[in-house]
Amino acid sequence: MSNEKMPETATEKVQALSDSLTNGLRLGEQYVALLNELCGKADPKDLLTATVKLAKIDLSSPFVKFPQHYQTADYYLLFMGRLLDLANISGLSINEDETEHRLSMTSTHFENIEFRFELDQQNGGAFFTEQEKHEPLFYLNLERKVLRFSNRALVNFFVIREINRYSDLDIQATLQSLIDFSKILVNELGFTVDLGILDSSNEVAFPLQAPELDLTVIDRLFVKTTDTEFMLLSLPNNNGALLDLDREIKLTLSYDPDDYSKQWYFHVSDPDEQYSLFDILLHYDMIRDWYLNNREALAVRSDPVVFAD
Amino acid sequence: MANEKYDNEKLDVGGMINQAITQKIDYLTKLKAAVTRHQDAEIYRLLDNQRYAAEIEHREQQVNDAGVMNLVDNLADQLSDYLSKSLIDYLGKAYPFFYYEEYQTGHYRIYFGNWWDRRQFGELDVLNIRFAFNQDEYNKLAQSFKLSEEGKKYNSARIQKLSEENDHLQSLIDSGTEREQEKATLQNELKEANSRSGLFESSKNKEARQDIIDRISELEDQTEEARGAQAHIKQNNQTVLELSKENTILSYEQKSIIDTFGSFEDFELANRNLYAHYLKHLSQQDDGKQVADHE
Repeated sequence: MSNEKMPETATEKVQALSDSLTNGLRLGEQYVALLNELCGKADPKDLLTATVKLAKIDLSSPFVKFPQHYQTADYYLLFMGRLLDLANISGLSINEDETEHRLSMTSTHFENIEFRFELDQQNGGAFFTEQEKHEPLFYLNLERKVLRFSNRALVNFFVIREINRYSDLDIQATLQSLIDFSKILVNELGFTVDLGILDSSNEVAFPLQAPELDLTVIDRLFVKTTDTEFMLLSLPNNNGALLDLDREIKLTLSYDPDDYSKQWYFHVSDPDEQYSLFDILLHYDMIRDWYLNNREALAVRSDPVVFAD
Repeated sequence: MANEKYDNEKLDVGGMINQAITQKIDYLTKLKAAVTRHQDAEIYRLLDNQRYAAEIEHREQQVNDAGVMNLVDNLADQLSDYLSKSLIDYLGKAYPFFYYEEYQTGHYRIYFGNWWDRRQFGELDVLNIRFAFNQDEYNKLAQSFKLSEEGKKYNSARIQKLSEENDHLQSLIDSGTEREQEKATLQNELKEANSRSGLFESSKNKEARQDIIDRISELEDQTEEARGAQAHIKQNNQTVLELSKENTILSYEQKSIIDTFGSFEDFELANRNLYAHYLKHLSQQDDGKQVADHE
């Protein structure tokens, strides 16, 4: 711009203003077109493109003043809502705040809890965040096509707080909608999704945050199993413990005996790959109490790049 | 005459030796055949005929032949190793909660359970088909069964005592500020009382002064105790965890025995009858084998 000649004559000045107004109006047209796409298109790819563009559009033109408009976080939420609608997934709905015109999401299973996206200024993308204590449940980056749940936030929000207010069925139903959303991203748009402790596959193992584990922590679980129907077994190589639960669910806490670093992992397996570590924490009081009482030692690691623990 | 007798005796000795050697060869031949064909019951009969006769054939007063009994003494470890396979297979079903570790040829440690922090429970005596339980560990379990009839656990009384001690220590820590305040007040009172003392101190003042001094010293003792309380509580908690762990182990053991045998008494009975039951099991197996051979 600096090497452009400054307008000098009156005609040139009017022409310059006209050009600026035209640019502003074009921007407005573009904006309207993108909004229409986000609200009207049925192909997830179109919705993704529109959202990414909307997130980048800068409506602050000095020449054309636009009325109240939405923010980037709102487009993320609209995008999520549209994908859920198109896949006929119910349970989550978007509401607009009448005064601030900001969008938020609520779950039919949770009264009075609102979710919004909060932008990550450092890495781009946004956190899907509950609005009371601002726990970032998952991180979403539309350009890098990544979704990653935060293990720490999931425990803080559901396992510590909401479990006192809502039944485990309500919690699971809400989470199922979020998991379904992430599956749409994988199947329709080729996203990479890390479900974290929500992953019910028998293949995944969750490394502990702490580099070492004091075995008295396992002793404490062992003691808790006294007079219960569950037994805490030792692994054949003495490299950890296995809790034998009902429904053939097995929770192990172990390290690879061949691995020099002795990194400890949680692992959950069941015949139908139906239950995740999160489900175990939610369902079994004994395990939940143990996990929370020894959280410093037992906390599962979250990806440090995106989730500062 | 004398010579004749001597010759006769000489002949008899030769015959006796021949007979004895024949018996030994006979014994070893039988044992060799039994080992070759893996007829474990027959091996056990040869190793201890007296017990076999009494417990399996119910013929009492059958004594072991001293001439052959110790012939394979130096093979005990190898025989034990050889016989252990079938025995441990059998025990795996009859006592599913016992695990064995062969720490040297023919010698087996018994572990009770495959759970977190299981106990070594004694040794398996393969040649005599019996458990040589560690008496301390076994007594704990027996005691634990007895206590469970009263709804108690082996270490509960000690855990209770330590918990009470911790409560006491915690209250000492919590009352630190109060104690300091009381001490400050008492020291002021003491100063005042001291000022009234002298050559002609009233006995009342003297008494009051002594009371204050006693109370201050009591408070100082408590402060001293509170000083180490945090460490003491931590140590007690560690002991409580150890004791609780032992309770858990005993409860797992009790549960395993009840699941398999119904009661501790039935478990003990089974242990006493293990020899007979196992050999009966072996002979049934052999019958099965023979039937199979005929087909």
